[in-house]
Amino acid sequence: MLEQAKIDELFSGGAELYRDARSVRRSRRSQRLRVWLPILVIVAALGFLIFKGLGNSLVYFHTVDEALAMKATIGTTTFRLEGVVEPHTVTDNRQGGVNFELLGQDGKTISIVDTANPPELFQPNLPVVLVGHFSGNRFLSDQIMVKHSATYIAAHPNRVASVGGKKL
Amino acid sequence: MSTRVIRGIIGFTALGLVAATVVMGLFVTPPDAVQGNLARLLYVHPPVAWVAYLAYGVTSIASALYLWRPTRSRRWDQLAVASAEVGVVFTGLTLVTGSIWGRPAWGVWWTWDARLTTTAILFVLYLGYLALRRIPTSRETRARRSAIAALIAFIDVPIVHESVVWWRTLHQGATVASLGTNSKIHGIMAWTLLLGFVAFTFVYFWMTMLRFQVERLAEQVEDEEFKNWELERAAESEISSGAIATLLGDGIGDRDDTLIEHKVR
Repeated sequence: MLEQAKIDELFSGGAELYRDARSVRRSRRSQRLRVWLPILVIVAALGFLIFKGLGNSLVYFHTVDEALAMKATIGTTTFRLEGVVEPHTVTDNRQGGVNFELLGQDGKTISIVDTANPPELFQPNLPVVLVGHFSGNRFLSDQIMVKHSATYIAAHPNRVASVGGKKL
Repeated sequence: MSTRVIRGIIGFTALGLVAATVVMGLFVTPPDAVQGNLARLLYVHPPVAWVAYLAYGVTSIASALYLWRPTRSRRWDQLAVASAEVGVVFTGLTLVTGSIWGRPAWGVWWTWDARLTTTAILFVLYLGYLALRRIPTSRETRARRSAIAALIAFIDVPIVHESVVWWRTLHQGATVASLGTNSKIHGIMAWTLLLGFVAFTFVYFWMTMLRFQVERLAEQVEDEEFKNWELERAAESEISSGAIATLLGDGIGDRDDTLIEHKVR
């Protein structure tokens, strides 16, 4: 006959196995959560980017010509306006920004009143994108973004020096 | 020549080329007529973006080769993940260097134009690819699933590249349309840009080879652990069956069933 102690040992082992199985199930559940949670966050981020991006990117700005043509329908809605800073028109204003004329492709211009500090690269003849709205015949802007070209030319080609200090 | 030696040579070449790019970019090339010294980021930003494209291209090819039955091998899956991880690092660098350039040049750290948005989507897509690989499942299922995901994610790469052509963006158009026939960048600036492309491509190869090796070793360790676990399990089951045989021999079969049920409860 089997001793009582041996039977008890056998059954306590079974209970232990049952407890182990439960804790394994719990740890699997938390492991699954640890894996799926970042994926859910990524899917949410992707959804946000697509929503935000599609809303803003497809028509990122209107040109001067388009804005003038749509002026009646645009009203005072805020939008992005693109054009070239006309030379000899830039003056500082009281709001800490600059006033200037924005030139379109067919020679039409819009008077700009900017209230923000322009970025470092802001200068005449460069294309810019402004964020703001029409107010009468003027465009009130609170952000200037400089749209630089893809061309790179040496600033002082005759004064370029090599590592040894010799002129190239 | 062993892989280790080849990797070492590529690593040192990459180091030398990056150092040369730094010297050329910071001390030899002239400032740009419009952007001044800001233009020096040109020697880093487009090359890291190119490496991200290259990395995702390699991931896609490796994934396609894994999915195609005649070429199916675990190595393609290992190469795909190695290259994707490097690609994610370089996409992150592209976003960071672009942002650093954008603040003084454009006046903003970030804007929702098509180039920036599609690049951010690309970054999140491949983060998703890496997260997908962490779902516990069999190795084959994981490889197949992630290979399909990699091919889907790659659709965004040509969209990112062509975004400045298809849509209006604040981001500039392509400076280098095709090497050798470019006229938008002058003299030594063009050569330094080319050097940057070559240097970061070498960095990519070195990083991917290293990561590929780590992936292979990790799978080998996993296999070893599995074998050990199987051996332990077999040994345990032998011990258990021995114990049950002993118990049965001791007469457990003679016990009352009600007692056993009581004990289980």
